[in-house]
Amino acid sequence: MTRYVLVRMMQGVVVVFLISVITFIIMRVMPGDPVYLLLGDGNIQITEEQIQQIRTNWGLDRPLYEQYLVWAGNLLTGDFGESLVRRGVPVRQMIMEAVPVTALLNLYAITAAILFALPLGIASAVRKNTWVDYTTSFFSALGIATPNFWLSLMLIVVFAQYLRWLPPFGLRSWQGYILPVAVMATEEIAVLLRMTRGAVLELLPQDFVRTARAKGVSGQRVLWRHVMSNAMIAVVTLIGYRFALLLSGTIIVETVFALPGVGRLFTDSVMRLDYQVVQSLVVIFAVIVVVANLITDLVYSLIDPRVRVSS
Amino acid sequence: MPVDLDKLAKRPISRRQFIRYTATTAAAAWLASNGLHVRAQGGGRTMVWLGHQEVAGLGPNDIGPDVQAVMIFNILDPLVHVDHLANIVPVLAESFSAAEDGLSYTFNLHQGVRFHNGEELTADDVKYTFDYYSQPGNVVAGRFLGMGSVEVVDRYTVIVHMDEVNAAFLAQAGLVPIVPAAYHAEVGGDDIFRTRPIGTGSFKLREWRPADFTELEAFADHFRGAPGVEVLRLEVVPEPSVRYIALQTGDAHSTVWPLLVEDSLSMEGDPRFRVLRTLGDSIKYFPMNLDRPVFDDVRTRRALMHATDRQRIIDDLWDGTASVATSHLSPKNGFYYTTDGVREYAYDPERARSLLDEAGWAEGSDGVRARDGLRLSFTCTTITGDQARRPIAELTQQFWRQVGVEMLLAEAPVATILEGMRNGDLEMSLFNWTHGGTPEPNPAGTLRSNGGDNYSRYNNPEMDRLIDAGVGVVDPDARRAIYHDIQRLYAEEVPAIYLQYDEWINVFSTDIDGLPDDVLNALPLYYFARQLGMGG
Repeated sequence: MTRYVLVRMMQGVVVVFLISVITFIIMRVMPGDPVYLLLGDGNIQITEEQIQQIRTNWGLDRPLYEQYLVWAGNLLTGDFGESLVRRGVPVRQMIMEAVPVTALLNLYAITAAILFALPLGIASAVRKNTWVDYTTSFFSALGIATPNFWLSLMLIVVFAQYLRWLPPFGLRSWQGYILPVAVMATEEIAVLLRMTRGAVLELLPQDFVRTARAKGVSGQRVLWRHVMSNAMIAVVTLIGYRFALLLSGTIIVETVFALPGVGRLFTDSVMRLDYQVVQSLVVIFAVIVVVANLITDLVYSLIDPRVRVSS
Repeated sequence: MPVDLDKLAKRPISRRQFIRYTATTAAAAWLASNGLHVRAQGGGRTMVWLGHQEVAGLGPNDIGPDVQAVMIFNILDPLVHVDHLANIVPVLAESFSAAEDGLSYTFNLHQGVRFHNGEELTADDVKYTFDYYSQPGNVVAGRFLGMGSVEVVDRYTVIVHMDEVNAAFLAQAGLVPIVPAAYHAEVGGDDIFRTRPIGTGSFKLREWRPADFTELEAFADHFRGAPGVEVLRLEVVPEPSVRYIALQTGDAHSTVWPLLVEDSLSMEGDPRFRVLRTLGDSIKYFPMNLDRPVFDDVRTRRALMHATDRQRIIDDLWDGTASVATSHLSPKNGFYYTTDGVREYAYDPERARSLLDEAGWAEGSDGVRARDGLRLSFTCTTITGDQARRPIAELTQQFWRQVGVEMLLAEAPVATILEGMRNGDLEMSLFNWTHGGTPEPNPAGTLRSNGGDNYSRYNNPEMDRLIDAGVGVVDPDARRAIYHDIQRLYAEEVPAIYLQYDEWINVFSTDIDGLPDDVLNALPLYYFARQLGMGG
């Protein structure tokens, strides 16, 4: 077990290193120059020599390998460097400000998804082909098919503009979380519900369920103890998978609801070629995904004794 | 209680139960959401504005993007500013004067002006600011063109000595905000200062979360008295339709960055809003790489102008909120603007075809003209996700196709386009850019051969000469003739396909009072937020 974890971690280090190199190269190969974005739309009169001077000040004229080594070396000491666009602000601070926003949104959305999707998924499996099943199936299909962007705007129109119950944007109060979490949870619920239903349906006719019932175990106990403990695999998979989506999954919601999370920080930084921020975020998320995958695999072996880790 | 799986499956939830549960859930959600949502107008004397992108910094180097400038100029005061009628007005300078030969400027400072940290503004702060920010490597360094030295005459008097005459100096350098010398040096310069600025402005920085909001609070000791509101907040809301809704719900009082045109126009009849339509300084244009052989003949460029139905673009795609451009300079600049003797380009496809014939472009078998084996085909790269301007490129593609010109379309992020146009990697693009504004018409950055924003790679010694001449004299009437010549030369040469002068539409809630009746320039209304109040 220890050996397994060590090997996986070694692999992880290699993966993260390769990702950092690839990201660095992609960012520098992308045509464009971040200096231009500071100039506004022509209100500032500037000559080419002056632009070159700014580039030199920012170290953008040094050879690429040198820029990489400086960055990677600092990274190892936990120094993510400074943003080109928000000069004077450490990248670490920018990320630390954005992470809680995205993390909370995801946490709430996943919690809401589990609270709604598990019972509904079980209900629709147990009551297969009844109106309960049809209704949840219909809505989960709808939930998967509805584009986040559209759903977000519609919710804002209804709950902010017409009903005036909730704020149209921002996280000034706890109500601000309701709409973005609802949008994110909608898709989550739909996916998790289908997964739970499928898992339970697959388990119900199995021998161990019949055996349990045959030896007199109550229906409820069979359902919760035997069926659900097996169905949990699906839930754990989904949660592990969400970590990988942490970066991309919330970009649209963060943009529409004007939330200063990681997704927006990432897209904004790519657009304005804020190299340090993009590179740091990608490396951080590579680490998170590697660790999350490892934990997911370890948790599998804990909740499902059939899964054994082997070196 | 034992549950039988089969029984469970057959036991239906009654309709009544279902409705009861649904109603209970909905009621709980409503109760939870109601009551605590504090709207902007309920927060006392707080004024909320909306921007579209993050406020990346708050120092003098950051005044380029509008959403940053509206915050910076409320925290830091410049010596002079340009007001809503496009006049240069004194701010920290009580009075100012330029020498007749244009070789010096004298600024007399207001006495008793305090920075937010309590220190008094003196001539030393002005000298420090000018010396620091004119150094190469600063974004605003170009504003100090021609400056020699800054002389502190006494505590409240500064004389700026010029090495060369630069008539644009007052409107350029005068607008660079003054920083407190001691504090600025103590924090180690602009990189840190821009994250925690201290100025003499009507508002102090209270909280700054670049991608979220920037919040300022009233500075009661401002030398012109306390401002009309206690808190000023700029919220970053990237999605224009959400900005529109936030104005409707009262969560915000104005949007610095415009809404979608149709949304702005729909608010014109609404008594809760004042919709200000002002002409912008920029032109919407297709800059083109003049080093490429397809664009080398002026007749080709004139043909493209004649082939473009610019009025139709305005009517069909811009809801009529723009006017056809006559040159690079907007009529908003009433004093220097002219149409007299400026070549006009009416929509005339026939004329376009004959000009292309003259230039040697013969109709090819595939409908695209060619000259000595070179097809009249090029690529226009528009900004990724620019849903407003992309249709203009698409319609223009059709216009030009009709006269045998092929324009292909591509997309790229802004940073890629600006650099690609500048270094000649791209052939054509489409965006808005200011080529000299109001009141200062100097287009050095965009039209001079060494201009940092010269996206057409335009290189004409005559234009360079005129631009240098324009800043080489200070007498406005003498300058006027030169800028008229520049407009004429621009229209003759067509260094870019210029389309229209856009209207800039700003929406203000009528909760805001203190707005002037006549407005030529909307942005200064935000720069001088101290004059605004929250009535009602």
